[in-house]
This record gives sequence, C-alpha cells and structure tokens, in this order.
Amino acid sequence: MIRFSGVSKAYGSLSVIEGLDLEIARGEFCVLIGASGSGKSTVLKLINRLEEHDSGEIRFAGEEIRSFRPEVIRRRMGYAIQSIGLFPHWTIEDNVATVPRLLGWDELRIGRRVDELLALLDLDAVRIRRAYPHQLSGGQQQRIGVARALAADPDVLLMDEPFGALDPIAREGLQAEIARIHRATGKTIVFVTHDIDEALKLATRIVLIDKGRIVQAAPPREVLSAPANDFVRDFLGREDHGLKLLSVETVAERMRAGETAPANGSIGAGDNLRHALSKMIATGAKRLSVTGSSGEIVGTLHLSDIVG
Amino acid sequence: MSALAQPHPASRTGAAMRRLVVALTLFGALLVAMPFSRSLFAWLFPRLERPLYEQHGFVALVLAHLGLVAASGLCAVIVGMGAAIFVTRPAGREFRSLIETLTAIAQTFPPVAVLALSVPMIGFGFGPAFLALALYSVLPICENTISGIEGVPPSAMQAGEGLGMTPHERLFRVELPLAAPIILAGVRTSFSINIGTAAVASTVGAVSLGAPIIIGLNGNNTAYVLQGALLITGLALVVDAAFEAIQARLQRWNAG
Ligand SMILES: Nc1ncnc2c1ncn2[C@@H]1O[C@H](COP(=O)(O)OP(=O)(O)OP(=O)(O)O)[C@@H](O)[C@H]1O
Ligand SMILES: [Mg+2]
Repeated sequence: MIRFSGVSKAYGSLSVIEGLDLEIARGEFCVLIGASGSGKSTVLKLINRLEEHDSGEIRFAGEEIRSFRPEVIRRRMGYAIQSIGLFPHWTIEDNVATVPRLLGWDELRIGRRVDELLALLDLDAVRIRRAYPHQLSGGQQQRIGVARALAADPDVLLMDEPFGALDPIAREGLQAEIARIHRATGKTIVFVTHDIDEALKLATRIVLIDKGRIVQAAPPREVLSAPANDFVRDFLGREDHGLKLLSVETVAERMRAGETAPANGSIGAGDNLRHALSKMIATGAKRLSVTGSSGEIVGTLHLSDIVG
Repeated sequence: MSALAQPHPASRTGAAMRRLVVALTLFGALLVAMPFSRSLFAWLFPRLERPLYEQHGFVALVLAHLGLVAASGLCAVIVGMGAAIFVTRPAGREFRSLIETLTAIAQTFPPVAVLALSVPMIGFGFGPAFLALALYSVLPICENTISGIEGVPPSAMQAGEGLGMTPHERLFRVELPLAAPIILAGVRTSFSINIGTAAVASTVGAVSLGAPIIIGLNGNNTAYVLQGALLITGLALVVDAAFEAIQARLQRWNAG
C-alpha cells in the first residue's frame, strides 16, 4: 500500500530521515515508535505530502506519490494530527464532516455518516452535534479528531499520537475502539506513539525509529522475543520485559481447553496473559476458569501454564 | 463521558440586538421629529432668524452621509483586506513591509490634508471626500486582517492542510472565518472614525451631515451646528450598535 525506498529528508542542514526503506502492506496496523525528535511525525507527513522528501521514492497504491495532487492524496488518507486541530469556529458536526464536504458528498449522506461516526466513537450525537470544540473535554476532542480522520472512509489512516492527551482510562477505551475499527474495516493504519505498551497492544508490526533510521521492524512478539540490539532492549524497558512478553499472548493460547471444572476466579479467553497473572497475584488463585465470548467456561489456566 | 460544558449563553447576541433596536428607534424618532422642531430651537436660540436648517432635507443628508461612509469604507475593506491576504500568502510575503509602510503613511496623512490636496486634482464634491475617507480606513482594516490571519491557531491550519483543503479552501473556510472577529473590529473602528470625519467633507462641497455644521459655524448659527451634531452622534450610535450585533453573532463559537 505504502512503500518507502531509500527516502531521505532534511530540514536545512538537519538530516531528519536517512535512507528509509519500509513497506506497509494493505490492512497492516503499523506503529511507528521512537524518542521525541526521532522523525516519527515526519514519516507521516512524507506520506501525505505535508513534507516533500529530498531523495528516494515513496509509492502509494503502486504510484509515486508525486504523481498525485497533494489534496487528492490527503483526502484519501485520514489524518489525525498530534495537536488535534479541530476547527474552533465549526460545530462538532461540521468538523467531522470536513473531508466529506471537500469531496462534495450530499448533505443527507454526510448527516448519516456523522451519526454513524459519533456512535462508533461512543459519543452522544444528540448532545454533541451542535456543540463547539471549546465545549468538549480534551478526551472528547481527541475522539472527534479521530472521527474526522475516519469520515470519508479513507483507505489509509495516519494517526499522530492520537491518544496523547488522554488519561489512562480514556486512553485504554480509545485503544480498544481503534483496534476494533481496524479489525472491522481492515484499513491500513500508520500510527505514531512513544508509548511502548500502546505499540505492543495495537500493532501488527512495530517500527522502531532512532534518529531517522529504522532500528527494527517486526511484529510485537518478535520485537519482544528477539530485540535487534541494546537500543531496542532499553526501549522495551529491561525491568518488565517479561511482563511485556506476557502482554502480547492471549489466555486462549496457553489455557487447558476442555478443563471446565469451575475455579475460584475467571478470565476471558481473549485477555492477555499479563492480565491473567495480575489477577492470580491479586486474588491468590493459582488457577482461573477461562470464559468464552458468551461467558461459558471453555477451559482453565494454571499459574504453571503462564510461567512454564 | 463528562458532561458538556455550559452551552455558550446567547446573552451577548441578545443584548446587542436590543441595543441596536433602541438606537434605531431613537435615531428614527430624532430624524422624524427634527423638521418639526423649529419652535424648540427658536425657544433655545431666540436671537436666530432661522433656527432650523432647511437647505437640504435631514433624511437626504443622512443618506448622503451614510453613502459616503459606506462607499469609502467598502473600498477600504476591499483594498485593505486584499492587501493583507496577499502579503500573508507565500507569494506575497516579501511585500509585507512595503504594504505596511504604505498603509501607515496613508494614515499619518490627516484627512483634511488629503481633502485640500485632492481638490485641485479631482475637483470639489464627493470625489475628494471619498478618497480621504478610504485612504484613512485602509490601515486599521489591513492591519487587523493581517493580525487576524496570523492569529489563526497553527493546529487548525495544519489540520486544514492535512485533511486536503486547497490553499483557496483554507483561506475561505479556515483563515478568514477565524480572523473575522478581528477584521470586523478594524472595520468597526474605521467606520466609527469616518462617520465623524465625513462631516469635514462638507468643506469641499460633498453633501453630508457636516453641511449644517459648516454653514452654522460660518454664519454663527449654533442651532444648525447642534442639529448636525445631534444627527451625527445618533448615526454613529446606530452604526456602532449594528457592528456590535454582527460581532456578537460571529463569536458564538468563542469561549469568551
Ligand atoms: N518544519 C520543521 N523545520 C525544521 N525542523 C523540523 C521541522 N519539523 C520537524 N523538525 C525537526 O525534525 C526532527 C524530527 O521531528 P518530528 O516531528 O518528526 O519528530 P517526532 O519523532 O514526531 O517527535 P515527537 O515525539 O516529539 O512528536 C526534530 O529534530 C525536529 O526539531
Ligand atoms: Mg511528532
């Protein structure tokens, strides 16, 4: 879907991206992660031509991106910017409808789409539609920023630290929503964060960037089980590396299926092992019943299954 | 989900509309009553032979005055905003200081001097008055448009660009609407000043509410001066209230 070959970018004499090679496949949830100033936002801006690359080649759907008019390519890619950037003089409804209006959709279709998106992001359409951005909390504004990026049903979503301004609870809620949207729509998502746990939770592939170069690009499990070098190990946090390993595996993968005698506590089959371990420690239970999507017991997880 | 913040009270719009209605009513009453006020002014100024100005109808004077201010103001809005928009585009950036100097000079020039200088060139009447007022208004409008555009939050500009607005769409959908309250404040200032200044235009033969004042001053007729001044003040209040009403409507989206 998006392919960088030997791309470099400098601001004046400051080289920000150097010889970047990266292919992002259709349907991938690609998370760019790195320290502040490592060039993550710049990579996104190169994709939608907010910044022009100096050398190398970037292709979108097989075509060199310079063959598209910038506006055309941007309207095909949803963009949630780091600073949210809602238009203060427009109602929430008009903000969400930005790209559909630019594309000339009829008002009926726009109205339906706005309702759909507000519902998708768990916002109360009736109360919020005609409000102005300053009337919303930071978390609500960030949701609107995401809804606006999704509005015209773009092939690609570019998200620059879209949950940066949120408290941990709201953040987890939105992470779950974006993961659900990704599963449901199969959109290609390029997502920037500097939160490694967020990256591990969401990514189908993590791209670690340091000073404009890719240090490692691999699925979360591989990054955890085979970090490319000390930089990656440091980034993962040496102390709770083991816990992070647990966080990318689900209960279903380790449970004893068919062992349905009820235990003292229970855990969902789709939850991760870190969650399960935490529950065992907190409750003192050495085994948990594993429940399926409708709450029925599908197996049991023993402490030794996690540690073994 | 946290509760919505208090919806912005419509109170400012309401108060502004009420003020406009009051100002219009008072001014209308003043205008209608003026031709019948001969005995009042005769009583106030018993030594005057003609206590009521009758060379032109008051309604005609008000319309001419307003026409002069509106035409010159409109011209200043087009020129001032046009220049400001031009110098805030990438292509016009280098002309910025030039434009700022030019408009500053245009304002340091007293309107009376423009009147005096332009009479030999374009003759008496509406022309020199129009020119003086327009020149005088360009600066506040241009300056306010520039600062309004520069005050647009960078994040909104970046979002506009990133979501695929063309430069033209960004100007008309994001920059100008967000700058509008500040631009309008500049227009309001220059209109307010010009309603007063337009009176001076009668010295070069333009018809305005300055006519009774100038004729009154020349002929020692204080009643004429008072009548002209009353109407100018009333008109200024009406125009100011109208701007307040527009500004209040524009700022519905603002936190303040
Ligand atoms: N318009 C610009 N002009 C000059 N330098 C810039 C510009 N934009 C970014 N930079 C520089 O390029 C480097 C990379 O910036 P970028 O915004 O891509 O970093 P980032 O990884 O997104 O950082 P953060 O996590 O803080 O958002 C930084 O050193 C930054 O100062
Ligand atoms: Mg960034």
